[in-house]
Amino acid sequence: MSNAKWADVIGWALLAVLLVLALTSGDTYTLKVVLWISLNILAAAALRFVMLTGELNIATAAFWGVGAYVAAILTAWYKLPFFLSLLIGGLAPMLLSVLFGYVTLRTKGPYFMLISFAFTEVLRLIYTQTESIGGNSGMIGIYPPRWLDPYYSAIVVAIVAALLAVFFWLERGAFGKLLKAIQNNDAVTESVGIDVLKMKVICLAVASFAAGVGGALFAHANRVISPGDFSFLVAVYALAYVKIGGETQFSGAIIGAVLLTLLNQYVIAFGHYEHLFFGGAIVVAMLVLPNGLMGLFERVAIAFGGTRENAAPAARGGH
Amino acid sequence: MDLAAQLLVNTLQIGSVYVLFALGLTLIFGVMKIVNFAHGEFFSLAALVVAVLMPVLAPALGLPLWVDFLIALAAAIGAVLVLGTLTYWIGFERYLRDLVGSFILSVGLILFLQGVFVEIFTATPRPVEPIVTGTISIFGGRITAQRLLIVALAITFTAMLYLVLQRTKLGKALRAVAEDREAAMLQGIRYRSISFYGWLIGVSMAGLAGALIAPLTVSQPAIGGDYLIKAFIIIIIGGLGSIPGAIFGGLLVALIESIFGYYYDLTIATIIMFVLVMVFLLVRPQGLMGHVER
Amino acid sequence: MTRLLRTLALLTATGFASPALAQDTIVLGVSAPLSGAAASWGIGTDWASQQAAKHINDAGGIKVGGKTYKVEVRSVDNKYTAGDGMKTAETLISRDKVKIFTQSVGTAPVKAIQALTERENILLFTSAWGRSVKGPSFPLTFTIINTPDEVLAPIYATVKQRHPEVKNVLMLNPNDASGQDTAKDATKFWTEAGIKVLDSLYFERSTTEFQPIATKIVSQKPDIVDLGGTPPANAGTVLKELEVQGWKGVKVIGAGTGSDVLVRTGGTAANGTYMGLAADFDGPTATEVQRKLNAGAKEVLKESLNVIHMGGYDGVMAAKAGIEAANSLDPQKIAEALPKAVFDISYGKAAFGSKDVYGTPQQLLIPIVVTQIQDGKTVEVVRIVPDELKKRLGQ
Repeated sequence: MSNAKWADVIGWALLAVLLVLALTSGDTYTLKVVLWISLNILAAAALRFVMLTGELNIATAAFWGVGAYVAAILTAWYKLPFFLSLLIGGLAPMLLSVLFGYVTLRTKGPYFMLISFAFTEVLRLIYTQTESIGGNSGMIGIYPPRWLDPYYSAIVVAIVAALLAVFFWLERGAFGKLLKAIQNNDAVTESVGIDVLKMKVICLAVASFAAGVGGALFAHANRVISPGDFSFLVAVYALAYVKIGGETQFSGAIIGAVLLTLLNQYVIAFGHYEHLFFGGAIVVAMLVLPNGLMGLFERVAIAFGGTRENAAPAARGGH
Repeated sequence: MDLAAQLLVNTLQIGSVYVLFALGLTLIFGVMKIVNFAHGEFFSLAALVVAVLMPVLAPALGLPLWVDFLIALAAAIGAVLVLGTLTYWIGFERYLRDLVGSFILSVGLILFLQGVFVEIFTATPRPVEPIVTGTISIFGGRITAQRLLIVALAITFTAMLYLVLQRTKLGKALRAVAEDREAAMLQGIRYRSISFYGWLIGVSMAGLAGALIAPLTVSQPAIGGDYLIKAFIIIIIGGLGSIPGAIFGGLLVALIESIFGYYYDLTIATIIMFVLVMVFLLVRPQGLMGHVER
Repeated sequence: MTRLLRTLALLTATGFASPALAQDTIVLGVSAPLSGAAASWGIGTDWASQQAAKHINDAGGIKVGGKTYKVEVRSVDNKYTAGDGMKTAETLISRDKVKIFTQSVGTAPVKAIQALTERENILLFTSAWGRSVKGPSFPLTFTIINTPDEVLAPIYATVKQRHPEVKNVLMLNPNDASGQDTAKDATKFWTEAGIKVLDSLYFERSTTEFQPIATKIVSQKPDIVDLGGTPPANAGTVLKELEVQGWKGVKVIGAGTGSDVLVRTGGTAANGTYMGLAADFDGPTATEVQRKLNAGAKEVLKESLNVIHMGGYDGVMAAKAGIEAANSLDPQKIAEALPKAVFDISYGKAAFGSKDVYGTPQQLLIPIVVTQIQDGKTVEVVRIVPDELKKRLGQ
């Protein structure tokens, strides 16, 4: 098996472990950690999917938030069924992302990054100014149905795994090759008759659907949401998972999210040193592992006689 | 009180510091093609150093306050240069022209440095005694002498940077690299050393802004964050890498803040800025004064 | 740096945050902002809480059912948001088996934590103000500082009596859950005091440039400016700007804490300001315990304590009192026993009460103090010991 295949096996095996833990563990803390890891994996995968086109989409955080608010309003106010609100929680940000993408994806690189950043902060400020959704205090009492409570972690892992399977399938198929071609050289891609903008918007829409579902799951897991939960930091952390896991590999997002979430749980006990250690860990990881853990894995594999996989180059900011 | 004059005076006060801060950010982008999210930390460091030193220097040296301030300012810039050199050597040097990698590195640095600053300086808000006292009226708009002094210093530093960029050999090399790196390298400009100087000048501008703001406000480790978000807006409006753009953008953002902060509130003003940024980018994706990125 | 090393040593020694603590230790949780603009609140709260734990352990610990327990305080960073408040609280509850939160700071995170603690039978002490976190629907939540409901009526009455000519007020508050709650209460109490509210403004907590707001305030020519829940450092800056732009009126900070920071930032512009929550823990009316704590904080944290910090100390002491009164570690039983207990906290003897206001006796009864800044010094203007407390203490 080639290295890339091995990497995939590791990623899916990790998800399987999460699912088994969610189904069998009776310990509430384990279940919570499994839940947080799964949600972080989803955020990282959604961010990484748009990175295939070479763009860093900070607005992943914005769509995550839209999904959370929409789903929360649907279950808490209108008493809609949980799964229906999940679906709408995905569709609403998807629609919004099509509008957003259609106008903003004409820019690229640092400009798109900063505009998606601005978009995220505008939405957050608008939540704080909207009295009906609780303003700065946010919304409370967002519960999944009671019968679902004991299985909630398992449901989340399953949904995340299903969405990841879709991402995986798309990335390996013709669409994924197209996205990578856009990343490598969008002018050439355009010249062979492909509507680059349209492809980018579709890519963004798919990722935003997943982000929205993630936000909806987050809202029901956390039971409270407030504007502060949807700042650009959501995307920043997601990017940290992707980078430290290794962005060239699909599994990088999974491994990065697992490790950093566990690390974060560990440093919470440090009280006000939490930041110091978590930030320090990110810096050290970036210096020691420029290609992430998957890059390290690849190097080790090559050293043991494997072959270098022709992995996609990373998003490099449109230059 | 003449309202229009007051709003303009407010704009000038806020804008002068924004401009300094954004100039550093845009210079770093121009030369290194990275967005330095940790820019606010250099600002905070300088502000904290000034806020810590000022109360100590006055009784120890017995010199006039403005001399103390100049010493504190020099110390602050020194601290910023040390931190800048360290972060460049250890980290940013490896992520030149890598938008995503440098982004994560600087976010890690933000968290880390915030923790370090709280440890060294504590999280207590630190005020500084005014250097000069009194209030001055400009066409009916009122401003403290202290503020006026700071505005004057900010304008001086901005002008100095401008002259350095326009007149000196280093400045010309910096501009050439920002314009077209390959062509500059063909001309024999050493990119790596130039980008190091660009970085140091850039973070020093953040440091200057921080040192200047310290006597006007209360400093604590998280103070840089607010300026960072504003600075992003400024450099998008002005065009990434554009020096005149940063000056114009800084003043425009300050004007919006001053006017909309008066008629509505500051949150609305910020929302309006963001919306303006989006409209701007749609009409002119390269920013107001930027050139097309390739 | 020594604090950092000590923490590391402690963590290594205790097996790094593992839940496998010695069985005879009660772990108490503290949820407060330990980073960002509000970090100084959390760090001071953590420090004061640790002092209370040390005090209890030095005196032999807590006795329940013939067994003696040591206490340990674990503080987590709620980053002032609901999401992080929830996450860190869940970690403390499910991993560290925390049954009591002795202090929780910030209205948004506290509302989030409360949704969890009330459901999972966990005791929550808080300094969050606003009626939305109090009352019969929250039987396990206890408030451990005076809140606008206790403070605003007396301070506004004092202002009205000392400045009979004032007709209207303009309010400024931070734009977050705490600020919005304060503004709501303040509007009610000003109106009841017969003063017209001209406008109620908000600012983002991260704001550093206050000139536009000051210009806006000055142009409306209010008789009184009430900075409500504005943190002292910001309040000082605002007052300075107001003075520069020529406004001369009555300055009030209804829910103002920490007067020394206000004086240092506001300079002479702070003179005359009335404050509702700015207890002076150095002054002649402070207790011995408070003076000692304050001296310690000045040395270690380089900062005087404010009432929120002190809430950290008092929360731990109240928890101890509750556990001993109930003779049980069950939060339910503690919550039932607490309202009947009279116990020692930093203010001396205290109790929980105010059933007639909130419907349940879960508000800490401590003296209400209105202070004024005079020539840079904090001076007590009015001191009211609640009647209910006097009765409980048999005075």
